[in-house]
Amino acid sequence: MLIIKNLTANIDNKDILKGLNLEIKPGEVHAIMGPNGSGKSTLSNVLSGKKGYEISGKVTFEGKDLLGLKIEERAHKGIFLAFQYPLEIPGVNTNIFLKSSLNAIKKSRGEKELDAIEFLKLVKQKALDLKFDEKILSRQLNVGFSGGEKKKNEILQMSILNPKLSILDETDSGLDIDALKIVSEGVNALRNKKSSFLIITHYQRLLNYIKPDFVHVLIDGKIVKSGDSELALELEKKGYESFN
Amino acid sequence: MEEQLKTDFDKVVKNLKLSDENIRLRKKDLNKFIKNGFPNKKKEEWKFFDLNQIINSNIKNLSFFNNCSVFAKNDNIVYVKNFEHNKIIFVNGSISLIDFGYEEKNKIEIEEDINLTEKNDQTNILISLNNALLSNYIKITIKQNYSLNKPLIIYNITNRELNSTAVNLRTDIILEKNSSIKLITLSNDDSKDNFININQNFKIAKDAILKNYKIDSVDNSNIKYFFNNIDLEHNSLAETFIFSKASKFIKNEINCNLNGEYSSAFINGVINLKESKHHEIKTNINHLAENTKSYQLVKCVLNDSSKGVYQGKIFVDSKAQKTDGYQLSKALLLSENTEFDAKPELEIYADDVKCSHGSTSGNLDEDAIFYLMSRGLSYQQSRELLINGFLLDVIEKITDLEIKDLIKNIMGIKQ
Repeated sequence: MLIIKNLTANIDNKDILKGLNLEIKPGEVHAIMGPNGSGKSTLSNVLSGKKGYEISGKVTFEGKDLLGLKIEERAHKGIFLAFQYPLEIPGVNTNIFLKSSLNAIKKSRGEKELDAIEFLKLVKQKALDLKFDEKILSRQLNVGFSGGEKKKNEILQMSILNPKLSILDETDSGLDIDALKIVSEGVNALRNKKSSFLIITHYQRLLNYIKPDFVHVLIDGKIVKSGDSELALELEKKGYESFN
Repeated sequence: MEEQLKTDFDKVVKNLKLSDENIRLRKKDLNKFIKNGFPNKKKEEWKFFDLNQIINSNIKNLSFFNNCSVFAKNDNIVYVKNFEHNKIIFVNGSISLIDFGYEEKNKIEIEEDINLTEKNDQTNILISLNNALLSNYIKITIKQNYSLNKPLIIYNITNRELNSTAVNLRTDIILEKNSSIKLITLSNDDSKDNFININQNFKIAKDAILKNYKIDSVDNSNIKYFFNNIDLEHNSLAETFIFSKASKFIKNEINCNLNGEYSSAFINGVINLKESKHHEIKTNINHLAENTKSYQLVKCVLNDSSKGVYQGKIFVDSKAQKTDGYQLSKALLLSENTEFDAKPELEIYADDVKCSHGSTSGNLDEDAIFYLMSRGLSYQQSRELLINGFLLDVIEKITDLEIKDLIKNIMGIKQ
C-alpha cells in the first residue's frame, strides 16, 4: 500500500530524514518509535504533504506517486493524519467542518455526498461508539477542548472519514489512561484487512493497547532496526541509547 | 470650489422654497464649510482617510446641487424578500415611500421637511455641509412604551441618473420612554462617483432600545460618509452593527453620548474588502454618567490592495465613575498590499473605571490551513472556512435570529 524508498527531508538546511525505507501492506499496523528529534513528526508531515520541506526519494501509495500530490488530494486518496497537536479553529463549527470534509472526499471519489440528516445519523453513531459527547460537535473546532477531547476528536474524524492509511502522530501524548483506552479502542475498531496504520510514538505505553504487527526504531532520520511487537518491549527496557 | 458651492447653494435654496430663517441658518453652515473645505489628513481624525484628496481624485466636477426631484422613481427597487418589514425609501436622496404598515398608526409620528434649528451648532464640518445642502430631513418619533412589531428598513437607493453629485440626507429618530426599534439601513447603488453624506440622529429616552444594522453590500464607486449621533438616557441601550463591504470609500462615524446612568452602547463592525476599497469605522464613546457601559468589536478582512481603518475613542468624564468600556479590533491581512490602521484612544478623567482596548492583525494561520486541507478540503475551501470563522463571532452578537440570518445571507457569511 505504502512504499517509502530512500526518503530524505530537509528543513532550513537541516537534514531530518536521511534515507528512510518502509513498506506498509494493507491491514498492517506499523509502529515507529524514536527519541525526540529523530524525525518522527517530519515523517508524518512529509507523508501528509505539509509544505516547507525539501524532499528527495520516492513514496508510492497504492502504486502511485504520493509526493507530487496536493495535501487535500492525499486525503482524497485515503491518507489521514491524526495530529499530535490538533489545531483550535475559532468560528468553525465541528459538525460543519466534518461534513464538508467528508463530502469533499466523497466528491473526489465520485460518491454521493451526504445530506445533513444522513451525516448527523452517521456522526451520532460514531460518537456513541467512541464514547464521545456529541454536544461537543456543535462547538467550535477544538476550541476549549481538553487534551483528551482533542485527541478523541481526531479519532472520531478518522472513523468518519474511514481512511485507508491512518498516521497517528504521538496520539498518546497528553492522554490519561482512560482516554488512552478509549482512543485505542477506537483505533482497534477500525482495524481490518484493508486499512493500515502507522503509529508514531515516543513510548511503548500505547502499544499495550494497540498491538502492532511491526515495530521500527527511528534514530537520526533512519530506521535502524525493525522487528515485531517484542521490539517495543526491548526498547522500553534498554532505552534508545543502545541503538545508537 | 467656493464659487460652485455658492451657485449650487442658491439652486438648492430655490428648489426647496425655504423660509428666510432657514436660509440664514443654512448659510451659516455653508460659510463654515467654505472656510474649512473637505477635511484632509492633516486633521487627526481624518489621518487615515484624506477625504479632500479622495474626492479630488475620484470625482470630476462635483456638483453640490442634487436635482433630486427628477428620476426619483421606485420602479426598480429590489426589496428584501421573505422578511416582513416597514420601509422608508430614498431614491437619489429624495423620499419615495414611507410605509409603516405593520405598526399602530398613532404610535409613530413622522414629520417630513423639517427645518433646521439654531441648536444645530456643532463642529463637524461635514455635518455643516449636510445642514447647508440637505435635500431631505425627516423625523420619526416612536411613542412611549411602543415597540415596533417589525423592523424598519431604510433603503438608500441611487440610480444611474445620479452622477458626480453630493447627496445630503438627514434622519432623526426619537425613541420615547421604554420604546424600541430595530432599524436596518441598506444601500443599493447603481450610480457612480457621488459623494453621499448621511446624518442620522438618535435620541433614546429612558429604558428605550435601539438596534441599528448598517449594511453596505452592493458594489459601487461612491464615496460615503455616514454620521450617527446617539444620545442615551437612563438605562437605555443602543446596539450598532456595521457591515461594510461594497462601496469604494466609506467612513462610518459614530458619536455616542451615554448621558444617563446605566445606559449602554454596543458597536460591532465587520469590514470585508477587496480591490482597492477603503473603509473606516470611527467611534467616539462618551461616558458622561455613572455606571455606563460600552463595548466595541471590529473585525476586518482585507484582500488585494484594500485598506481598513478603525479609530475607537472612549472618553470617560470625571462624573462617570464605575464606567465599563471595552474595545477590540482584529484584522486579517490577506495580501501584502493591504493596510490596516487601528488607533485606540482612551481619555479617562474618573478614577473608578474599567477600560480596556486591544488590536491585532495578521495573516491566516498556515498550520490551520494545513489541518483543514489534510481533511480533504481545498486551499480555497479552507481559507473560506477560516475567514468565515474569523468574522463569525461578530455575527454571533446579533441577538435577533431573523436579522442574523438576513445579514449572513446578504454578506455571504456561511454557517
